[in-house]
Amino acid sequence: MSKAFRKPGQWKAYLLLTYSSLRAQTRNPATFAFGFIFPIVFISIFGLIGGGNSKVTLGIPPQAETTSTIIAALEKQSSFITLERSDYQTLEKRLKQGKIAGIVQIGREGETEIVDFTTSSANAIQTAQAQSVLRGIVDQSNLIESGIVNPPIVLELKEVSGRQARYIDFALPGQIGFSILSTAIFGTVFGLIYLKKALVLKRMFATPTKALTILLAQGSSRLIMTLIQTILILLVGVLVFKFYLPHGIITLFELIILTSFGLIAFLGFGYFIAGFANDENSASPLTNLITLPQFLLSGTFFSTDVLPKWLTPIANNLPLSYLNTAIRHVTTEGGTLVETWPYLLGLSAWGVVMYLLAARTFKWE
Amino acid sequence: MAKPDSKNAIIVVENLVKKFGDFTAVDGVSFEVHEGEVFGILGPNGAGKTTTLEIIETLQKQTDGSITVDGINTIEHPWEVKARIGVQLQQANFYPELNLIELLRMFAAMYDIEVKPMEMLKKVQLEDKAKSYANKLSGGQRQRFSIATTLVNNPRVIFLDEPTTGLDPQARINLWEMIREIKKSGTTVVLTTHYMEEAEQLCDRLAIMDHGKIVKIGTPKQLITDLLKTGFKKEVKVQEANLEDVFISLTGRHLRDE
Repeated sequence: MSKAFRKPGQWKAYLLLTYSSLRAQTRNPATFAFGFIFPIVFISIFGLIGGGNSKVTLGIPPQAETTSTIIAALEKQSSFITLERSDYQTLEKRLKQGKIAGIVQIGREGETEIVDFTTSSANAIQTAQAQSVLRGIVDQSNLIESGIVNPPIVLELKEVSGRQARYIDFALPGQIGFSILSTAIFGTVFGLIYLKKALVLKRMFATPTKALTILLAQGSSRLIMTLIQTILILLVGVLVFKFYLPHGIITLFELIILTSFGLIAFLGFGYFIAGFANDENSASPLTNLITLPQFLLSGTFFSTDVLPKWLTPIANNLPLSYLNTAIRHVTTEGGTLVETWPYLLGLSAWGVVMYLLAARTFKWE
Repeated sequence: MAKPDSKNAIIVVENLVKKFGDFTAVDGVSFEVHEGEVFGILGPNGAGKTTTLEIIETLQKQTDGSITVDGINTIEHPWEVKARIGVQLQQANFYPELNLIELLRMFAAMYDIEVKPMEMLKKVQLEDKAKSYANKLSGGQRQRFSIATTLVNNPRVIFLDEPTTGLDPQARINLWEMIREIKKSGTTVVLTTHYMEEAEQLCDRLAIMDHGKIVKIGTPKQLITDLLKTGFKKEVKVQEANLEDVFISLTGRHLRDE
């Protein structure tokens, strides 16, 4: 018999395994739940709560002094201040709950008009804002009342053009990161563990397809899936919530590169857990241990600025923080891809460590 | 023990040993499988049948001993061996989200070849299940599909590990028919079983295995004759029919809509 062996070709196997895995993912509801539906739902919620939360509400009870110009002046600030008219008891309750920033009452003592501003510590920041606005109005009124037409000091305002920062601009990049992490880690871990446990992989090892081909195909299918998810999230963001791509198609292209980069790095985590754990029960705690802190601390839902100081250095060096920061840099901040290199370097370092760990601990059965 | 056979040996196993720590699962096993036959490895659970099979299939590495399949050493050229054999594992599943046609295409690609999935499914009477998912199949259908996947690469030998375990009598008889067809087409079949009837009906030759060793090899007839020569007598007279015959005659041989 002829001993001239044909090397088993891997290309066809790679392509069809990638396709098969992609097909399997599109038929698995979990793919869409984690990778697409969740992020879109989050974005929708954030998009809707985006606008109104910067307004300060002041309580106005029925006034003893009806001729005051102060209230009228407050009414003119409607872009910044909402006035809530109700009886004093109700307003006081609202104040204690922090729902309004203060209660304004106008009184009179002889010739002097008294602006009585009741505050509470429940909503300190808004109270401070309201106080400074109120003080400005009072000062302005005093000048006019005193007949000063040419005050010695004049404040002149200049404005540089800038985009209004909305919560969606912060939230959407975080959701892209969230979706990449979910697909790379949850998808890979539970996908591979099933294939392992159900002996699907073992059956494949009885064919001339190499283990590396199988893993590469798995990874490639997740990459394609993630790119589809990222583009869909961006599409919804841009069309529905007016998410802004500063350099248009170039930003989109940069996002595709960042998504691929992030996915490849996070796949290392997925392979590590899937190779290390024997079943879903041992994989679950490890997966949560790796993903949960990142969801919370990596600026996915809120900025890392609000974290306690000691936590910031840890939070800022998590892999998802690197990815989120890089994505925000090319979108919200209008920067370029090249400038994100420190974050990509950090992300690569995490990826390399995980791939090395995976290579050392991977068990096929 | 393994002297050169007059017939064409497609598998030659010599002094195969497999140890798991202190436990010796396969303890110096030698045998040959002839081209074109159905060769059965018969033995109780834990006898080492599956381990022996998986070493020949290159899924496990032996501690000692050598094996050639179709003249190829399994340690030196595992990929060439894999390309020439078809393997059905005990309790193996398939991608749950792919249908039978997609799975067959995937397997074909893993052998770097092309197949006509519908023709393959017709061979195992599953053409009406072409668009079904593998995990929605009944036990018998799943085994038939599993066998179809072993035939994708037109193999020289196929290995079936307890192919009829857990099947109802109709499905079992149907699977035997299928295995006979495969044999007729020239493919060698190696299977393990712990059903005596299956071994007797289906296998040209048998190796009886226990505690990691092969106790005896021969044709079923030869094994029985040898036993009788020792003066063995069955205590009860053999019935003209058994309960299985009753069951089959009442419920028929045809496959059920599983």
